[in-house]
Amino acid sequence: MNYMNNENMLEVHNLKKYFNMGKKLFSKEPALLKAVDDVSFTIKKGETLGLVGESGCGKSTTARTIIRLHESTEGKIILDGVDISKLKESELKSHRKKMQMIFQDPYASLNSRMTVKDIISEPLLVHQIGSKHERMDIIENLLHKVGLKKEHATRYPHEFSGGQRQRIGIARALAVNPDFVICDEPISALDVSIQAQVVNMLQDLQEEMGLTYLFIAHDLSMVKYISNRMGVMYLGKLVEIADSEEVYKHPAHPYTKALLASVPFLDPQAAKPEEDILLDGDLPSPLNPPPGCRFASRCKYAMDICKKEEPLLKEIGTNHLAACHLL
Amino acid sequence: MNQEMKDDSILLKVNHLQTSFFTHFGEVKAVRDVDLTINKGEVVGVVGESGSGKSVTAMSILKLLQHPGKIISGNIIYKGQDLAQRSEKEMRKIRGNEISMIFQDPMTSLNPLITVGEQIMETIIEHQPLNKKQAKEKAINLLNMVKIPDAEKRMKDYPFEFSGGMRQRVMIAIALSCEPDLLIADEPTTALDVTTQSQILKLMKNLKGEFNTSIMLITHDLGVVADICSRIVVMYGGMIMEEGSVEDIFYRSKHPYTLGLLKSVPRPDMDQQSRLEPIKGTPPNLVNPPEGCPFAPRCDYAMKICTTTCPEHTYIQEGHRSMCWLLHEEAPKSDFLSEGDELYE
Repeated sequence: MNYMNNENMLEVHNLKKYFNMGKKLFSKEPALLKAVDDVSFTIKKGETLGLVGESGCGKSTTARTIIRLHESTEGKIILDGVDISKLKESELKSHRKKMQMIFQDPYASLNSRMTVKDIISEPLLVHQIGSKHERMDIIENLLHKVGLKKEHATRYPHEFSGGQRQRIGIARALAVNPDFVICDEPISALDVSIQAQVVNMLQDLQEEMGLTYLFIAHDLSMVKYISNRMGVMYLGKLVEIADSEEVYKHPAHPYTKALLASVPFLDPQAAKPEEDILLDGDLPSPLNPPPGCRFASRCKYAMDICKKEEPLLKEIGTNHLAACHLL
Repeated sequence: MNQEMKDDSILLKVNHLQTSFFTHFGEVKAVRDVDLTINKGEVVGVVGESGSGKSVTAMSILKLLQHPGKIISGNIIYKGQDLAQRSEKEMRKIRGNEISMIFQDPMTSLNPLITVGEQIMETIIEHQPLNKKQAKEKAINLLNMVKIPDAEKRMKDYPFEFSGGMRQRVMIAIALSCEPDLLIADEPTTALDVTTQSQILKLMKNLKGEFNTSIMLITHDLGVVADICSRIVVMYGGMIMEEGSVEDIFYRSKHPYTLGLLKSVPRPDMDQQSRLEPIKGTPPNLVNPPEGCPFAPRCDYAMKICTTTCPEHTYIQEGHRSMCWLLHEEAPKSDFLSEGDELYE
């Protein structure tokens, strides 16, 4: 992965997404679910940023807010130099072309009553790309790219296996020739042997089309493998971000350490991480979270200050940011 | 098949099990001629992709198959008696009592209308001569054992008030309530986060030590089996492809499918430059499965015979067997035989 220039594909500044859960009886303030709370990061062109964390940590909400499936509560989303967070729907359309998404569930994300051809040509129609004839060419080309045959164009999603459906979803995302693709758990619904096929294909496409990825997954070893940099989220906060190698070799945040320690090792004789790193308990509720560090309730190193003051992301090495009072 | 009959350490022995589903599309041969042994106090991992027949094998053992599924042939010897011949009434005495099961989805395997406490007590009262008060006491103890805080209070809660990991803990509490000899765990951690997964695996390991329960752990995650199993069975297309100790499978695999699986997941030492090696193609359709080895259409080493005749199991050493023509003495020498040994070097 070489960076031709140092330009950023995406910059996210202080992104917040609060969901209003309605007023409780007798309370003045509405309950706020802080799904994404003050998250900032950048993704360089041609780079893959992996985002990991437990379910409910806000990684999917971050992705959906970036692509504006959710309206952000606060913050800036700068895609290729343009702040798209406050653009009107009509102004947004031309920018939407640059940014596409691949979804987790290949069964739910394809309309079962549309043929493959219709599914892939829909984004082309929306953005008025090509004549009818040209669109067919584009579709055939895309099907070839994702390893399907052109005969598949007239079939319906139910005729395909999970891996093939995910390929259709990828073809649809690539139809408008985007620069930036958000992959939201693209492989977690697939079988092990098929996962590798899809991951390899995503990498080939990245090289071929110069794509930038935001790759969300909970499989840490896969995220480490596919991404250049990796961000770890906990309860709506980004707690650590660094090069993937660095995160794996020198995790700084106690949560990152615990997360890495709980990945089952593929080598039965390898040294097992110390048992006491493992986390107890569950993710606390993101509804009105306590002040201070959100991880404090599960952190064994928690000090007094952790419960009062929120740690900020600070640089602890080259390109290595972490938010913890210990550092 | 000769060395297994000799001692009484065997808890469960499945012989030539065949299970099919009779659907509109034809007979789906989900399990084809599976032999499986589980010893007392042993953790056996059954690994395979979806549709490989691992869950159907488990369901057949407990005779939980529903129409149109049916055990065609084979026997399931548990403590000397053949479960395949048992009536439904007799099976009810065994299920939950001697053999219990944990299912994949902790969200749907508990009854949402009944409190967690009652669901645990239900199993205890069904199988043990305890009254309600004693059963309640035992249920609280069980919840404490699976580390649910405030056990006595949580007894009155409904499943929706528990998180995914806690529900799976409740399932484990129910499964262990009668101190079964065999626990079948069907993808117990697949729906959970890694952090919760490691908690549940640790819990299962501890409980195994405490009760000396045998565990049959069904999973698609090779990392999970490497962690807690002593023996691994690799299934594909309704058949057992390879069986051996954890070390046999991870370091000395002698089957192209097992090797393919190991190569298609990123290993910790892999960098960005090295590529994953996926298994080409897709799993077979088990309505009229292909003649010969089920893996042949996806196998890089497939020979002519592989597509016509199904190979027998070859024993590489005691306890390590593989179903592949390449291990036949007349087969051409292939580099794959040493590939498994080099994977981790």
